Amino acid sequence: MSSPDIIEILERTRTGESCAVKDWDVRRIPKAVRSMLEKHNLRHCCDPTNPVNCDDSLADAFFRAGYELALELGMLCETTERVVRVSEEELASALKFAPSELFVGSGKDGTLLKTRTPSDPYPMPFGASLGITVSEEIWPALTEGIARQRDVDLLEGGSLATVYGRPVLPGTPFETLVGYVQGRAHREIRQRAGRPGMGGIGCISSVTEYGQLGGYGVPGGFYPTDLSLVLFPSELKISYQALHKVVHTLNMNGLIIAGSPAMIGGMPGPPEGAVLSCIACSLLQYPILHAHVGGGEIYDLRYLSNVNREGLWALSVTHQALSRNTHLLTHGIANEVSGPGTEALLLEILVGVATIAVSGAALSTGPRSAGGKLTDYLTPLECRFCGEVGHAASGLSRAQVNEIAKAILPRYEGQIKNPDKGRPVSETYDLKAMRPTPEWEAIYRKVKREAIDLGVPMDDQC
Amino acid sequence: MEEQNLGRALSVAVADGDEAEAARLAGAALAAGIDPIVLVKDYLQPALEQVGDRFQEGELFLPELVLAGDAAKAALDVIKPRLLAAGGAGEIANKVVIGTIQGDLHDIGKNVVGALLTAHSFQVVDLGTDVTPKQYVEAAEREGAQIIAISSLLTTSLPYHEDVIRLLCETGRRANHFVIVGGGPVNPEWATQIKADGYGRDARDAVLLCQTLVSQHAKPPLAQPLCFGALK
Repeated sequence: MSSPDIIEILERTRTGESCAVKDWDVRRIPKAVRSMLEKHNLRHCCDPTNPVNCDDSLADAFFRAGYELALELGMLCETTERVVRVSEEELASALKFAPSELFVGSGKDGTLLKTRTPSDPYPMPFGASLGITVSEEIWPALTEGIARQRDVDLLEGGSLATVYGRPVLPGTPFETLVGYVQGRAHREIRQRAGRPGMGGIGCISSVTEYGQLGGYGVPGGFYPTDLSLVLFPSELKISYQALHKVVHTLNMNGLIIAGSPAMIGGMPGPPEGAVLSCIACSLLQYPILHAHVGGGEIYDLRYLSNVNREGLWALSVTHQALSRNTHLLTHGIANEVSGPGTEALLLEILVGVATIAVSGAALSTGPRSAGGKLTDYLTPLECRFCGEVGHAASGLSRAQVNEIAKAILPRYEGQIKNPDKGRPVSETYDLKAMRPTPEWEAIYRKVKREAIDLGVPMDDQC
Repeated sequence: MEEQNLGRALSVAVADGDEAEAARLAGAALAAGIDPIVLVKDYLQPALEQVGDRFQEGELFLPELVLAGDAAKAALDVIKPRLLAAGGAGEIANKVVIGTIQGDLHDIGKNVVGALLTAHSFQVVDLGTDVTPKQYVEAAEREGAQIIAISSLLTTSLPYHEDVIRLLCETGRRANHFVIVGGGPVNPEWATQIKADGYGRDARDAVLLCQTLVSQHAKPPLAQPLCFGALK
């Protein structure tokens, strides 16, 4: 039996078992996760004193449990309140035929995503930034600033706060408009940055499917060689909003990057439960959402971050489980909380991105400067640092990165609950000269020097 | 003795999130002649507060918190008529309608706030996600809620916050309800800009905010929003 095609998946969203969203959230998910942790003897194994897992057998045990969980639960379509399940044969087939290499972008500027394993020397590509809201006036220059960073492989850019001065209200034609406007601007910006073939990710400015419909793969918009972003609700839920994006991307012969965070402290419970949920979710993205790149994101509900000990441990186990047992192109995000102009932001990036890189993820995107909460709190400099860390830390051993995490965490973990928001781009980066302020650059150089001293092989001269 | 046994059993049922058992025990306790005010103050509220504290400490997780809130609501539905007759309306007077604003389907933050408010003795009416301004206003009027709590994770949905307040003003109902806002992209400046009555950065802040709003004598709208937990 082969992997179900998209028509079959759509059919299952109408005919699958009926289940109310609330029942799914507070009963089915917790019960199934608890019982799977019990069955595989995986309860209480999170080790916050060693935030980067170095135990292969533990990662493999989580993979087996996550695989079983995926088959047991499937995903709930919250639009129709129907469960979409796949058989073991269908899941195995989807994983077998999922790409192990993917070229994003075109020509010499494009990026090859490849299957990676823990400590794989192939440098993990990095895409920047996440969808941090940026004022329309400065968005082009800021996005160009990001595209000019040679350590940033893929361009996502921030979210446009407005389009033609009007708010991009979800579900309105403003979203259809912003999809096209952002796609067109992405082309122009990549050209101006001297990287016309650089791969992109879109469309972050639109929440619903309208942005994708308006801007992805259409003439003048995002290229079908860019990644089409399909975010969906946690835990293990899909929606017609997400499926519209999938169908449209397939129609355009495009590339799907899917993602949804598992929440520590949320429906799957403790860090171990979130790891299981995340693995199951990552696997199911292939048969159900036809992902080319599948997300393996985990956040801690208490902080909406994952650069704390439990978050890092969960990220490391998840990506090691997936990369040791499949050839999937998995994607991870380090969710920082501190803002531009602070040392803490760079320390969080160092620990978070290195953990993802060394655990075998095929791609990471970021940063989430200031937790992504504040408009214009994003600069090209931390985007560059993310890329540098992602590339340089890839070949380190997990034990090395664990030691780095243990050395750095005490410097910022006390502030995760109340982070320093830092300063906006207008006070930290000169977008005309395209360079950081001397103060922000000095902080960057200091942290980079520290990273090098801790064994991350970055080029100190750049 | 029977009062204590039934009361403790009710507390356990609430903490365990057992809706049916909580309702049954509430009925049994009333039938045994237990004062409904005692039942709420000495057993229901402490059980919920304990669950809320354990959630904050990371000992319990969101499903347990939500289910405990549901169990308490089931018990309260049974107790409520007798409570009102006994003059205990004050025990359940504070009502909040909560929802995630139009265009936004993220519900985790809203669920945590709703469950923690329930754990702190607020009656919470959960409108779900993708709630239009009109739905907030109609629900608040229908339920006689003191507070409208608006949650957002998406920046793009923020303008709808303002629409809730605008609609309240246009229909002459602004003085009926406090409007509070929270969620990832929301901050005190935004609350001030749209003339909301309050902002809470996380669920604990939201509880403090609601407790402060209902305990003070001021009426909506406030000249300046009360803000809890602003970023440095």
